[in-house]
Amino acid sequence: MHDVDAGYGAVRVLHHVSIEVREGETVALLGTNGNGKSTLIKCIMGIVRPEAGEIFLETDGTRVDLTKRPTEEIVGLGIAMVPEGRRLFPKLTVQENLLLGAYRPQARGDIARNLAFCFEAFPVLRARRKQLAGSMSGGEQQMLAVARALMSSPRILLVDEPSVGLAPILVNRVIGKIKELKERHHLTVLMAEQNFNQATKIADRGYIIVHGKIEFEGHSTQELREHELVKKYYLGV
Amino acid sequence: MVAGLLLGGFYAAVSLGVSLIFGLLDIANIAQPAFVILGSYAAYVMNRSFGLDAILTGLLFTPVFYVLGAVVYRLYYESFERRGEESLRGLVFFFGVLFIIEVSLSLKYGVDYRLVEAAYIGKSIDLGGVGIAFRLLVPCLVGLAMTLALHLFLSRTFYGRAVMAVSQDRLALRLMGADPVRIKTIAFGVGIAAASLAGALLITIAPVVPSTDRDYIGRMFAITVLGGMGSIAGTLVAAVILGVAESLMSTFFGPSWSLAVSFGILLVALAVRPAGLLGR
Repeated sequence: MHDVDAGYGAVRVLHHVSIEVREGETVALLGTNGNGKSTLIKCIMGIVRPEAGEIFLETDGTRVDLTKRPTEEIVGLGIAMVPEGRRLFPKLTVQENLLLGAYRPQARGDIARNLAFCFEAFPVLRARRKQLAGSMSGGEQQMLAVARALMSSPRILLVDEPSVGLAPILVNRVIGKIKELKERHHLTVLMAEQNFNQATKIADRGYIIVHGKIEFEGHSTQELREHELVKKYYLGV
Repeated sequence: MVAGLLLGGFYAAVSLGVSLIFGLLDIANIAQPAFVILGSYAAYVMNRSFGLDAILTGLLFTPVFYVLGAVVYRLYYESFERRGEESLRGLVFFFGVLFIIEVSLSLKYGVDYRLVEAAYIGKSIDLGGVGIAFRLLVPCLVGLAMTLALHLFLSRTFYGRAVMAVSQDRLALRLMGADPVRIKTIAFGVGIAAASLAGALLITIAPVVPSTDRDYIGRMFAITVLGGMGSIAGTLVAAVILGVAESLMSTFFGPSWSLAVSFGILLVALAVRPAGLLGR
């Protein structure tokens, strides 16, 4: 993502934002509410169109311009998103939600394997697979949202605020699972999170976004931890 | 009672399109009964001109009706839904479609009752003292087969599951890699294709005039809501309940009561179970 400006109508949210996520990395996008984390992720998915700048996906030497593609095609390229607020299909069962996650033609052959993996990673989903998604607790819904995204056999996983609305113990569990999944599937992960301590547990490196600008790029979690913005916003120093 | 059960299978066939388009897509397609009557006339014309069986015609015409449905949906989408004006103007649009079909049929074929001929119409089999007319039995069986087919389409295919999801969260569906407009076009096409067969069943059971759609519009929506919005199994259950209730009422009190029964049952059921019998 290079030099991206984006916003909603007259309100500009992102200003000259450039970030890079390399294959196999877990990158954290840190910032408190209202600083543009979600907008940035929506730009990658084609849900919000940038006014200026470039967003590219490079795989095996080919370069695809994401700003010109509709969301469903971007998903087809192997980028999955766990949206903020989960956005499950509340009146479908857990299993139906998971199977919809495998809609992408490239993922349909892997359904049995992916489903087995999701049930193993989140046993509660197996127990509740006939239950309507809307009737589950927030933590269970978040697990389902992550599992549903994984059903598409993604190469890149974008996670928007996995910790919002969850009890701390569940945040721990969901974040821990994302890490485990990432290692086993060789995923590339970009995670937007305001919960600094949780995000840096699994991130290789990260960016800090303030008022729609990338204020700091930390090449390691150590660098992030020691940065004054983090101290100011998160550690109360 | 038996006639009511058989009628129920047929009512299910007639209501499947509404169940799909109104129940699952949230599109108030009040023109659905007119498409059913259009299916009846297609069966009538093919039967008269080529001696083709009505139900076979209904089956052969499903691709034609599918395309017709897809075109109507695209028109509706481009004119209203895309601009977010679907609620009231969309209703007017489908009201217009209803009248265009009805008036066109009246102009072309007049307002006389039309019927089809087939070897089995008029025959019946005797099951333990109860005579069952093929005229009712065949539409019932075809209706059950259609219900099963639609149920399998929705629960076993990727398109079907996407159809069930599309009105719940359109953006989330795009995040699954599906284009909501394409999904709705497919579903609308399938719903109208069902009208082709349902129309053929209708004209097998009884003669049809262009305004027969008015007898069915209330019934179709009552069955869909009673069964639970978008539930195919619920549609079948509600259709059978209505079929039995109507035939009992018309036996004891006369046929003019039958529509009052539809809405009477609907009101009571909604008071007790607002989501419908099998609604999620």
